[in-house]
Amino acid sequence: MNKKKLSFVGVVASAALVVSALLVPSANAANKTVIVWADNTRGPNLQTVLAAKSDWVPGITIKIVTFSGFDALKTAFDNATALTGPDIVVGANDWVPTGAKQGKLAPVTLSSSVRASFTSNNLGDLTYKGVLYGVPLDYNNVGMIYNSKLTGKPLTLGQMVNFYLANKTADKLTAGLCVAGGGMSFGGVSVLSALGGAPYVMTPNGSVSATADPVPAATVAANINKFLLDKKGKSNGFFPATDTGCKTAFLAGTVPYAIIGNWEWTDYAKAGFDMSTLMPVPGVNHGQYGSAFASVSGAMLTVFAAAHGVDQGAKSVLNNFFGSAAGAVAYQNVELRPPANKKAQKDASVTAAQKGFGKSGAMAGIPQIGAILNGATGGKSFWDLLPAFWTDVLVNGKDPLTSAQKLDTFFQANIAAGIPQL
Amino acid sequence: MEKLFNRKVTVTLKYLVVAFVSSLMLMLIMSSFAKREYAISGFLTIGLIAIALTYLTNYSIPMKFFLPGMLFLFAFVVGPILYTVAMSGFQYSTGNYISKPDAISRIIATGIRPDANQTTFDIIVGEDSAKNLEILASDPTNKVYFLSTATTKTDLDPTVLAVDENGDATKAPGFHPLTPDQQNAVDQKIADTRFAYSSAYFITIEGSNVASLKSQTLMYNSSTDTFTNVQTGAIYKDNGVGDYANVANKVELLQPGWRAPIWFSNYTKLFTDPQIRKPLVKVFIWTMVFASLTVLTQFALGLLVAMIMNRKLFGRRIYRSIFILPYAMPSIMSILIWGGMFDTEFGAINHLFGTHVHWFQNAMYARAAVIIVNLWLGFPYFYLICSGALQAIPAELSEAAAIDGATNRQIFRKITMPLLLQVVSPLLVASFAFNFNNFNIIYLLTGGGPSNTLGGDVAGSTDILISYTYKIAFGAGTQNLGLASAISVVIFVIIASISLYGIRRSKVLESFK
Amino acid sequence: MKKFLKEDLWRHAIALVICFFVLFPIYLVFLSALSPSGSLQVTSFIPKAISLRNFHMLFSSPLIPYLTWMKNSIVIAGIVAILSVVIGAASAFAFSRLRFKGKKQGLQLLLLVQMFPAILSLSAVYVIMERVYSFAPRIGLGTQPGLLLVYMGGAMGVNIWLLKGFVDSIPLELDEAARVDGASAVQTYWLIFVPLAAPVLAVVSLLSFIGTFNEFILARLFLVDMHARTVAVGLQGFISGQYVSNWGPFAAGSIIASIPLVAIFLSLQKYIISGLTAGSVKG
Repeated sequence: MNKKKLSFVGVVASAALVVSALLVPSANAANKTVIVWADNTRGPNLQTVLAAKSDWVPGITIKIVTFSGFDALKTAFDNATALTGPDIVVGANDWVPTGAKQGKLAPVTLSSSVRASFTSNNLGDLTYKGVLYGVPLDYNNVGMIYNSKLTGKPLTLGQMVNFYLANKTADKLTAGLCVAGGGMSFGGVSVLSALGGAPYVMTPNGSVSATADPVPAATVAANINKFLLDKKGKSNGFFPATDTGCKTAFLAGTVPYAIIGNWEWTDYAKAGFDMSTLMPVPGVNHGQYGSAFASVSGAMLTVFAAAHGVDQGAKSVLNNFFGSAAGAVAYQNVELRPPANKKAQKDASVTAAQKGFGKSGAMAGIPQIGAILNGATGGKSFWDLLPAFWTDVLVNGKDPLTSAQKLDTFFQANIAAGIPQL
Repeated sequence: MEKLFNRKVTVTLKYLVVAFVSSLMLMLIMSSFAKREYAISGFLTIGLIAIALTYLTNYSIPMKFFLPGMLFLFAFVVGPILYTVAMSGFQYSTGNYISKPDAISRIIATGIRPDANQTTFDIIVGEDSAKNLEILASDPTNKVYFLSTATTKTDLDPTVLAVDENGDATKAPGFHPLTPDQQNAVDQKIADTRFAYSSAYFITIEGSNVASLKSQTLMYNSSTDTFTNVQTGAIYKDNGVGDYANVANKVELLQPGWRAPIWFSNYTKLFTDPQIRKPLVKVFIWTMVFASLTVLTQFALGLLVAMIMNRKLFGRRIYRSIFILPYAMPSIMSILIWGGMFDTEFGAINHLFGTHVHWFQNAMYARAAVIIVNLWLGFPYFYLICSGALQAIPAELSEAAAIDGATNRQIFRKITMPLLLQVVSPLLVASFAFNFNNFNIIYLLTGGGPSNTLGGDVAGSTDILISYTYKIAFGAGTQNLGLASAISVVIFVIIASISLYGIRRSKVLESFK
Repeated sequence: MKKFLKEDLWRHAIALVICFFVLFPIYLVFLSALSPSGSLQVTSFIPKAISLRNFHMLFSSPLIPYLTWMKNSIVIAGIVAILSVVIGAASAFAFSRLRFKGKKQGLQLLLLVQMFPAILSLSAVYVIMERVYSFAPRIGLGTQPGLLLVYMGGAMGVNIWLLKGFVDSIPLELDEAARVDGASAVQTYWLIFVPLAAPVLAVVSLLSFIGTFNEFILARLFLVDMHARTVAVGLQGFISGQYVSNWGPFAAGSIIASIPLVAIFLSLQKYIISGLTAGSVKG
């Protein structure tokens, strides 16, 4: 060991001290912190609400972590562990089955008053195998609006098709009815429903029927032939098989009817469309309507809360902030979605459009049951099947009857695999 | 030159850098060891020793050049690859995501069920006089009030209690409420305590002011490693592949399961399960076609443009500036804008040509679209390379050939091309490798679609292996990381053998001697 | 004139067709950035109304710290570009010039490693960096330095491979001469190789700058904090809400994000072309 080497060791040691100063974590604050993960639309709004009032739970600081996008949030949550994971995650209701199976979500029991603020369908959306994992926040649903400058309120699907075919060239219409919000599966289901099909049939007591035929192929095929196809069996242009460009076209006035999502009604209102033209998709017969999914997003408790020592704190945040009427009103005044909380729905500060969507969600919707729709065996999910069905029938010119039969078979398989998981 | 390269200065500089890096690593080794991240601290220790050996001795000259790159490559490329290989030996999917002890605690937690009426109480958390955790519970609707600790429940007389405006009891004899801060400090203890209620039911706390009535439906017996359903009597046993299964009905599993080692099952599934094998073969073929076509078209167009521009042409600078634009623009944006252009009803392409092609609903059109977009994105790279290479080919060569009576075509085939290929062939190989795993273009342009879902297809027609594997591993529905890892490994073995064979034949590596 | 017709006209014709191919999508980006509705689909190729609303949004909303994102991108991509080339060049030099055992295997390994479908590394990298976070929160998951480290690892394989190709084409005579003069390998590297390869190094840096600038899959997992995000993550955020896509600001943001890259390219284009093929054809 010569002098040179010795001095080198000295340099290393002193540099280590400098470096260590850089790396030592800052001390933790005294107040306990509950970490909430949210996507880029909800996160900033939650932040605004909490900036206005932060003491929803005494002794608890709520920290919102905003991801750059919904899929970024989903990927991060899929990978999260107790080391850096959230205590509460705000996400879609179909995260509940996967989150529970992955062992990432933890059960919650809501106080009886909070529970009474939600419909059993709402709570059912966040329940997997009889265990509740979160608090419902707001409705995700779609409704149809019509352009009152072009046409009046339609009573049946046939009327809409006739209007389109008659005025196609004169008004330079690019389509009759298109899906602007929710895509061809979530948004398009109300069209399937108007034509006589459904992903599953609900019994009057609110459970999924194991025996009823979800897509009566003959009826659906006959209606498709009658309304969506021309004499040669090709699409008559009334209903496009994709959702791209629909919103622009509707706003530009080249599409008379569009299915829009409640999360973006403000864009339509800003463009001068009247939210009173909002309605369900008319069915084949007068007085019938296609039903849409009315699911809720939720604030869900994770198992990491317990690991972080804030299990009680996180549960209090769910009960006192997310689940309470006051919390829901404060949040939805910024977020502008229809609140799921029944008391919040009645609050004066909630806008008419929010109430309208909320009411139709509570009234004319079918629940969105992830355990069935996501395809239990991993092969076929409803979310892939319905768009494929539209493509087959409207683009590839496949026989509507055969396609409807295939769709029916897959739906039945999903129902059979999903019911035991409810 | 010696003066410029003052030895003393450089040696000092070298020692300073080495000292700084080693001290950084030393710090990390100590703190990672303290946090029991032994794998990481082990890797760092080996790295530190390697650095010391390499830069303080003259043991190996090449290592002085390689070491920093190698450390990065091992930490963030080779390491994750090994992790992937390891994952492929596990039942690692939705439902089997966590470790077995975690799974057991999750099952116990979900095995605690609220009573049929979902009874809840408003509570205040506090302590009794012996400093045991105690709650003061109120049910104002039924006028039921009591104190409860983990062992005893004491009913209170509603007539003598002080209640607030909600009808909740505010204090009770011998009960000392805890402040929020005190509660926070014992959060874990509060969460884990089961407060006494009756023989069948107990109370758990759900937040600072709510508690609910619960009973245990699933009981875990650690000595036999089984769960028993108290109500039905069903017994659930470890089924060896990561789940507790009902002994009487093997398909009935408790959720969640855990990631259990299943060794080669994921691999055998790839070959024996036609549901997995068939789409995989299809995707593999398209991946090869996609990568080769991409490289060929990009190279061909790049070369064409380079040859056109390879002479004094009016406006050459402007042309050149335009041609490299696709390369300089953020590719996310370019891909997405192309996606919008291919839209059937409102897209610019159909608008421009007056057609009504369903680009993304028809398999062949969608594939063509992917190739066209990738051509747009990638040809400037080959244009730049080819044009540099063409300029570097000595003009005398082709002039001499022309004098000897060679035609333009002959000059191109016999002189230009061979010289060009010598330069670009390693880049073609690299480009093939890049496009083989070109996730972004598929993910952002078509999402792998369209797929004949009703016809029973699982993979989309434009899915390449990496996008398909991504779907399996991180898709919306059921995720299967174990299977996806196995696919990655198999693909790797195949592509590695192909390219090694190709390298040997084309002597790409030999040419660098 | 006749010669012009014969030799140049067809060149111009083809060049113009390719120009149209190249410029058409770019024109549409401008169209949607300037349109008030901000959609990716066109109803007409001639804008009916022009508005700077989308650009204005990028700089007025506190939720969109666009300039910070740009700065982050440039800093991260810049550091990765410089460091990865500095480190990669050393390896490339060794692969190209030094004789040692296992050289061929090493090269093959390098090529193969790039062919591994690395998307699953996402999980592995997440796990590793989460653990790093637990003991060194400044360089773990969720931090820019952490992301930088991961990018460095990822850039290594490609850069070494590319650089090696270029280094090979630098004539051997020079460093042989240096060696005869008694210079060691390390001295040859610094005194002969680095100055000679400077244009090549610059080009490969630029390539890795672009690659890093465009990356968003890892970045969106790492850079959660609003002010830590890169432009790619921020832009992707515009179009990946749960249901909402804001194409207008996305297009406007993309145009601004392209400016530095396009500027670098255009000002250095001669240099880039010569760098990409520096002496690559041995005369």
